[in-house]
Amino acid sequence: MFQTRKLKPDRSISGWIIPIGSILIIVLSMLFFGYAAMFIALAGMFWVAALYSLYIFARTGNSGHLVVFFFQVFAGLMGFLAPDYISDQRFQEWRFAWIFGVVSYGVLIVFLAVTKRIKWRGREIFELVAELVEETGNGYTPRPRPVGRVDFSKQEILAFARFCARHLIAVVYVSPRQVTFVPVKMGGEYTFMFRRASLLQEMTWISFDFDGDVSVHIAQKDYLDYVEPLAFDKLCESLGQLFIEFAGMHQRGEGVRIIDRMDALRMGYFS
Amino acid sequence: MDFRTAAKLGSLLSKDYAEDVFDLLVNYRAVSASEVAARLDLHIKTAQDYLEGLTEMGILSKEEVFEKKRPYFRYVLEQERIAFDLDLMQVKRAPSADNLSLRIRERENAGARFLVGRSADTITHVTIWTGEGRERAERKIKLTAPQGKFLYHLPFPKAEALTVAEVMRKAGVEEALSPEVLDLVQLLDKYSVLEKL
Repeated sequence: MFQTRKLKPDRSISGWIIPIGSILIIVLSMLFFGYAAMFIALAGMFWVAALYSLYIFARTGNSGHLVVFFFQVFAGLMGFLAPDYISDQRFQEWRFAWIFGVVSYGVLIVFLAVTKRIKWRGREIFELVAELVEETGNGYTPRPRPVGRVDFSKQEILAFARFCARHLIAVVYVSPRQVTFVPVKMGGEYTFMFRRASLLQEMTWISFDFDGDVSVHIAQKDYLDYVEPLAFDKLCESLGQLFIEFAGMHQRGEGVRIIDRMDALRMGYFS
Repeated sequence: MDFRTAAKLGSLLSKDYAEDVFDLLVNYRAVSASEVAARLDLHIKTAQDYLEGLTEMGILSKEEVFEKKRPYFRYVLEQERIAFDLDLMQVKRAPSADNLSLRIRERENAGARFLVGRSADTITHVTIWTGEGRERAERKIKLTAPQGKFLYHLPFPKAEALTVAEVMRKAGVEEALSPEVLDLVQLLDKYSVLEKL
């Protein structure tokens, strides 16, 4: 069934900047310094990427990124050893290890990508939020909006937060009074993960405080990502209700239904 | 006594030379500005302005004297006591049914910036920009806790407007605090941050 998207098509190239930049560095290393330098540069970049993947795993608990981390460590190691192995009789050993590693990890990573276990779900969230909002008329304001009260205990909210972080539904910030969920779109995660909580004013967030109050804030750049100027008040209400609904589903042990709802949108991995 | 009169009187009494001038006014039958200036080592204009100020307040009276070449004024003390009686309640905003039943919401494209408090259910500051072009100035208003909670629950632009009383109820602000809430409403209306329906 053809689904009419309320978000603009994802034409952002921010997610491609790092891979393209890396390729450029590798090519330039080869041109100016030779093949050995190229392999060392490749190794360095894979290891830096590995550190990032490890940080994501530590921050979210998403095990898919742990697999990516191991692959990047492996790839970096292969690149580091390549200059020694390629130039002599042990090239066949290196090549076998490289192919075996790439195929093994490749299968795993493709599986993770196809099943969206390493996909940031920000766009799905924004699309689900807009599903029930038909009215247009703008009305944007940078103010947060109180949505209502919920009856969850602190432990239940924290458990839901861990679930959201693990499934990359949102980056979670925990403070003594509340938990704040920040949906992240694919391509936006590279710099996002290093932002301080103090910059929350500029992001879209959903806050559950431990007294039960729920409030939301939609950043202007996310609001402008919708094709039409949807009624802002209704959009905020919808965002808050979506997360309240998700929290309720998680509380009942139906966390998988949350994933199913997002998967049902059939968004591509890179969007 | 109103605020303006009290401020003027206070300003007169707070001068360094005030007590010395009154010393002369009490002990002399009448004094001129030049006599006060010479006696207290003040500039003649300073003495003149001071005595004229006291005359306007009704503390002194002046009589024109035609001695020597030019006529001049002599000032006589008219009051033996100066009482400061300022009723502060004259500026109290009493909440009326009309005020509390005003339907309000945020104005679209108001351009104000709202700083959320750490507890995330209150707004601590509102920044408003006034003026145009080179005269554009930023004004940051710090809110009290009830005002912050009230503003947090203010309906969005183009959302259904609510009365002031309803917003206060949603925000959990007591009716006794309505004067400061109404003050905020008045201020935000003045700067076109909110609209009344």
